[in-house]
Amino acid sequence: MTTTAASMDTEFQFPEIYNFPPFFTRQPNDSTWKEQRRMWCDLILSYYKYNNLSSMTLAEAVSDPLFNNKQIHRSLRVDTLREVVEELVKQGNACWTGPKNTRDACLIFWRKPEAWASIIHQWASENGMFNMVFTFFELANGDDTVEQEFHGLDPLTLRRALDVLQGQGKAQLFVGTSDEDIGVKFFHSS
Amino acid sequence: MRKAVGIGGLRRKEADRLALSKKGNELAQREIEKLQEHITIMKANLEDFVREHQKEIRNDPMFRGQVQRMCQLIGVDPLVSRKGYMAELLGVGDFYCELGIQIIGICVATRSINGGLIELDDLQQRLIRRRIKGSEPIIEDDIKRAISQLKPLKGGYRIVTFGNRKMVQSISREMNPDNSTVLALAQYTCKFTVEDVRVGFEWDMNRIRSCIDDMLRSGIIWVDDYDAVQPEYWVPAFFSQMSGANLGS
Repeated sequence: MTTTAASMDTEFQFPEIYNFPPFFTRQPNDSTWKEQRRMWCDLILSYYKYNNLSSMTLAEAVSDPLFNNKQIHRSLRVDTLREVVEELVKQGNACWTGPKNTRDACLIFWRKPEAWASIIHQWASENGMFNMVFTFFELANGDDTVEQEFHGLDPLTLRRALDVLQGQGKAQLFVGTSDEDIGVKFFHSS
Repeated sequence: MRKAVGIGGLRRKEADRLALSKKGNELAQREIEKLQEHITIMKANLEDFVREHQKEIRNDPMFRGQVQRMCQLIGVDPLVSRKGYMAELLGVGDFYCELGIQIIGICVATRSINGGLIELDDLQQRLIRRRIKGSEPIIEDDIKRAISQLKPLKGGYRIVTFGNRKMVQSISREMNPDNSTVLALAQYTCKFTVEDVRVGFEWDMNRIRSCIDDMLRSGIIWVDDYDAVQPEYWVPAFFSQMSGANLGS
């Protein structure tokens, strides 16, 4: 994020609903709850984007400022958060991580892996990187990508994005000895 | 020498009275004709005036209000029919129609948050924000007129008051009187508890429960169970105005 003036508040700006105490209580009315859930989904995605975050452990997250408004002394309950994340998963904006069926941790995609995939492929195309092998580490942390939005992307999201490209025939993955060793080769779309 | 008042004198007086009365009627008739002539001229002048100042009328709400009142004074209601020549001249037919559509848009977009109840001031702020910069300013009177024009749509759009709060309701069903009573109780704090209602109105628990459940079902209130024993019920439509908040995007 860039700021135009040094005095400008660079803190994340929470929407007004964040100061509405019942926003932190799961509403019993179904249509109100759907709207409430939609607003939580939007808030999570914009907060994660603003702070460039990706992973979430639910039990810990509920004490983060995102889910805990100290000014009005309200915080979201873990089971309510779980329902919200469930919705994000359904939309393709999150996936559960950790042991199966525990639903205690997740990865938030403020930009969907499909969108990352096309950004990465475009970079490869514009810079003549087809048919060359990169390691995951080089892609996310190498000098060639410093200017790119996907520089510093977390390995899991990167993996998801490259899986998408492989599925489209635009990349091939080579499994190495560790996750960071995984290699990838980009192709022109076939 | 004193002239006696004879029968002839009486007759002459009667004749004079009749003549005077006839003259009077004639004068009155002429006055009315003159007045009608004036009104016709005034109407014509008003038309010219409106045609000439169409831009100002659209841009200046105070001026628009004055012209409206002037029209009403001489018996022309520019809003009576959309085909009315004054409505066309004033461009107000389009103006209120357009405003009405924007009001519907805002009410529908915020309905899932506020249950179809929005504070008039809040609606006004949203309308002003939504309108393109440099377009006609909106005053409360405009909103009232636009809403009264929405009546034929049967969408239930109307202005209701709870205590001192003027709200625009956009759901067709009637507000149950108990709900209105409780909303008026919450007008300043934006919230209430079961206990507040019990103390305030001495209703029995069944009545309070069913009133709250009804409002929760229609989305007019949200529950905050921070205090699990005595949950608070919040009215988003009131909260929105109180904090200058813009609930919902």
